[in-house]
Amino acid sequence: MVGTTSGYEAAVDQFVTKMRRRQVVGSQSSAKLTAELLRLVVSHQRLPSSGQAAALIEAVKAVGVRIIAANPIELALGNIVRRVLHIIREEDVSLASDSILDSTLDSDDEDEFGNVARQSALSAVSVAAATRNTLRAPSLYNLLESVPGTAATQVARVPSATESEARSRSGDRNLMSRKLKHNVIEAITELLQEIDNCHSQVAEQALEHIHQNEVILTLGRSVTLREFLKEAKKKRSFQVVIAEGAPRYQGHMLARELADVDLQTTVITDSAVFAMISRVNMVIVGAHAVMANGGVVAPVGLHMVALAARRHAVPFVVLAGVHKLCPQYPHNPDTLLNDLKSPSEIIDFGEFSDCLDGSPGGSRTHVVNPSFDYVPPELVSLFITDTGGHNPSYVYRLVAEYYSPEDYVL
Amino acid sequence: MFAAGQHASTCHPHMIIAYRAGHKMKVSNMPVTEVKTGQDIPAGGVTFEWLRQAEDASLHRDQEVHTVAGVYGGQPFSVIEEFNFWRSKPELAEAVAAIKALTAVIKRSEASTMMGLEIELRNASDALKAWDETSISLTAGCNLFLRYVTRTSAVEYEDIAAGKARLIERGERFGEISQKARRTIAMLGQDFVHDGCTILTHGFSRVVLALLKLATANGKRFSVICTEGRPDNTGAEVAKELLSVGIPVTLILDSGVAYMMEKVDMVLVGAEGVVESGGIINMLGTYQAALVARTMNKPVYVAAESYKFARLFPLDQRDMSPSPRHVDFAEPIPPEVTVENSARDYTPPQYLTLLFTDLGVLTPSAVSDELIQLYL
Repeated sequence: MVGTTSGYEAAVDQFVTKMRRRQVVGSQSSAKLTAELLRLVVSHQRLPSSGQAAALIEAVKAVGVRIIAANPIELALGNIVRRVLHIIREEDVSLASDSILDSTLDSDDEDEFGNVARQSALSAVSVAAATRNTLRAPSLYNLLESVPGTAATQVARVPSATESEARSRSGDRNLMSRKLKHNVIEAITELLQEIDNCHSQVAEQALEHIHQNEVILTLGRSVTLREFLKEAKKKRSFQVVIAEGAPRYQGHMLARELADVDLQTTVITDSAVFAMISRVNMVIVGAHAVMANGGVVAPVGLHMVALAARRHAVPFVVLAGVHKLCPQYPHNPDTLLNDLKSPSEIIDFGEFSDCLDGSPGGSRTHVVNPSFDYVPPELVSLFITDTGGHNPSYVYRLVAEYYSPEDYVL
Repeated sequence: MFAAGQHASTCHPHMIIAYRAGHKMKVSNMPVTEVKTGQDIPAGGVTFEWLRQAEDASLHRDQEVHTVAGVYGGQPFSVIEEFNFWRSKPELAEAVAAIKALTAVIKRSEASTMMGLEIELRNASDALKAWDETSISLTAGCNLFLRYVTRTSAVEYEDIAAGKARLIERGERFGEISQKARRTIAMLGQDFVHDGCTILTHGFSRVVLALLKLATANGKRFSVICTEGRPDNTGAEVAKELLSVGIPVTLILDSGVAYMMEKVDMVLVGAEGVVESGGIINMLGTYQAALVARTMNKPVYVAAESYKFARLFPLDQRDMSPSPRHVDFAEPIPPEVTVENSARDYTPPQYLTLLFTDLGVLTPSAVSDELIQLYL
């Protein structure tokens, strides 16, 4: 065990240190690095001959908990860890049901195994029913049917029933163990590709949403948004109003990037949003994370823009890759998920140091510099993800599709 | 008797009749015409086997209408008595007691086919529902168990003894499941209670109390405002329970909800029933509190176990079976004055923020998904 773990321990330590020092910025790069690291962990795991999925899950969870603890604000880390766990569970279940069907197909040929065939076919039906239940979130039916643990043991028990008359199948079992790892690694590679392509997938839908001569409003800078607008620019002509996004003024950078592709841009201060909103057709923004209730953790200032848009009946559209979808609910979003940055971004230390915290005269001025805002789901009109456009009330379905409920609490 | 590998619905026919609260099942000797809205005519068409079984079952049923309340295999048995016995235990919810009573019916059943067993259960369930027509959680519990029985028998068990044993085991475990449900909900919901918050609650709900007690046990400091809850005086009971664990309580009049709402951080209520739209049916006054909370941007959380999910879709307040409650007024009222004394109201889903259930935290739009998963 010591031998196998040292292979990736160094890589994990390095990654955790990087995340703690906030050297990795942006959810896409964090997500990619996490997925690559977990793929490394999976490929280095030496698995026992039975209960492999459980061993894999334990290993990934152990690493995952460390990664999440290194940077709890970056929700994409936890999302990718949970995605990988879900992948392992899914691959395990599909391999188990495949092997049952394989065994029944084999024994169907021989007459003496007729009874066995009938038994296996029936048990295949119940195994399929059990697997359907294990993959879905706990439902009213599962409530009465069984605890998810017993359903999993049902799946495991059925192969052992055929074990006694299939000693020659031990070769197949080793094949199955290698298959699980192989399938999981393949699926994680697909996940990496999906993260890479999220910008282009979202941008593909630009033409459906932006029409000729429209005025779009945004705040700050989002890479997804930039690609989205660039894609629309190819076939439509429209204008963009960019609120600069104090105190980091990233709106300026976006304005420069959009002007470079000949898009007509107007830069305004954040306080002018309410003044301009009535002249705007649509508000399109990026997000830091999307919570399970449809709420959005977005750069600071966007809650105000959302309120302005709601007040003037302007659609508020959020662009987010699926790796930003978080299966957790915001208990106390304003304090828990926020990153309070240095006040020097707002007030220069030199000028006001005599009335700031810890000064000799006592602290009279507190400077709070949050990086994120929480936008409740009622204010969002549409989510555009790489899988298409969705209502905020549909987010729970996406969560159920990509994550297993056993992994919500790690 | 059943060929291997055939899909269950073609070889094990059964009639599934959709239930609405208060709907009575019709008895007929012509089972073919009785099948409702395209459901469950077997895929291979109506065969002699199916007809024979269905006729047997409906004949059997005529006899059993009498046996449910009377002598049953030599012992006097009444499903209502059984239900009251379980109901008298204070920790058990109504739906759980109903399911335990139905389990007892299975134990004493002498049916020889799964279909016969289902008919008996349906009669027993009808009797229970007729006994208390207004209780939604009772109806929901009965429907849930019946639905579960139908699905189980369809998929897995040809042998009636094995099937019965399984159903009995499940039914008896259901009591544990309901206790576990309350614990799960308490664990999920207490995350949303933060230090220093003020919670408004309405009505007496054991789930909500379990949630608040767990939050206190985890070291959170908060205060609770509870409404008086006329005419049931739930407010006093809730206050007593909360004081016993050291939670500061403020009691207010029902009409004082809007007055206090500015001090409140969240509204937390239980539910008698959760309906298909994602809304809830709860004690009279819940809708009012939710309306006020929505206007003042306070979240409204509902704590409800999953067996309270009912197949109802009220379109307005009058669209439920009425459940009147006697109200005592301080002064005698002249008889010409009508008193509107419904005990409960319907809160539409747009006023609810989240539901804490043992299936997890759900948004109101996710509730109908769960119901479809069960009933499809």
